[in-house]
Amino acid sequence: MKILIADDSRVMRQIVIRTLRQAGHGGHDIVEAENGREALEMVRSEAPDLVLSDWNMPEMNGIDCLAALRASGSEVAFGFVTSEGSEEMRQRAASAGAAFLIAKPFTPEAFDDALRTVL
Amino acid sequence: MSVLTDEVEAPAEDDVRAVTEDVWLALLGEEEVLLPRQVPSGSPFDATGVWSAAVTVSGGWQGVVTVELQEDAARLLGAGMLDLPAAEVADADVADAVGELVNMVGGNLKSLMPGPSVLSLPAVAAGRAVFASDVVEVCRLDLAWRGGPVRVCVHVPRPGSSNGGSR
Repeated sequence: MKILIADDSRVMRQIVIRTLRQAGHGGHDIVEAENGREALEMVRSEAPDLVLSDWNMPEMNGIDCLAALRASGSEVAFGFVTSEGSEEMRQRAASAGAAFLIAKPFTPEAFDDALRTVL
Repeated sequence: MSVLTDEVEAPAEDDVRAVTEDVWLALLGEEEVLLPRQVPSGSPFDATGVWSAAVTVSGGWQGVVTVELQEDAARLLGAGMLDLPAAEVADADVADAVGELVNMVGGNLKSLMPGPSVLSLPAVAAGRAVFASDVVEVCRLDLAWRGGPVRVCVHVPRPGSSNGGSR
């Protein structure tokens, strides 16, 4: 399985990778994007099975990236990893076609629970 | 939960503390405890080398959340988040880590306040935080981690300011 991690923070991308490992999902191929626009391009070029995306990013944010993916016909599994975990944000994410939203700060258990819905 | 204090709406201090501690422990581990620090009201952040970061919330609630850390604490934060020795942490990593810290604290506080609202990208500086003259401090936490001072503040528009007021 290939997972694309989109976050403008290198530190957070590293934490997500580490948390995936701690959650028992360390065997996947990982590719990284620094913003939504790069993620959009990499979904096309890398064909990941899952996108784990921050919400707030420069260039293109996560929700616009997801909307662009769905508008282009992509059905790639997409989950948010974001500091904004309010019900309003969860509803926006679900309406746009996200499979889940993991709120920061998170635990390995939260990652495992979320990934099980798409694996 | 939010509270009204003299015409401005602000997150409760207990919520700011709980959010900050939750983020801290999640990023650095259960053994990395933030301790309270007694600092006289109105005192500027008293560390010499400082990193600071801020995020702005705009919409149903307006506010600015800032974090300031002593340089050594900021570098240790980056080292802890990247799982690297502190000596291997570059300034760009420190800025990234401090920015992500305020993003997480600010994002979680945003979720506790009236919405809908938008969270800005973090602005990070090597130096103390600066504040516009049309905002007023509504919450300040002075903490210590590994002997270094850490400060978390929430500012909101001063009532009647052109920045939209508080309510």
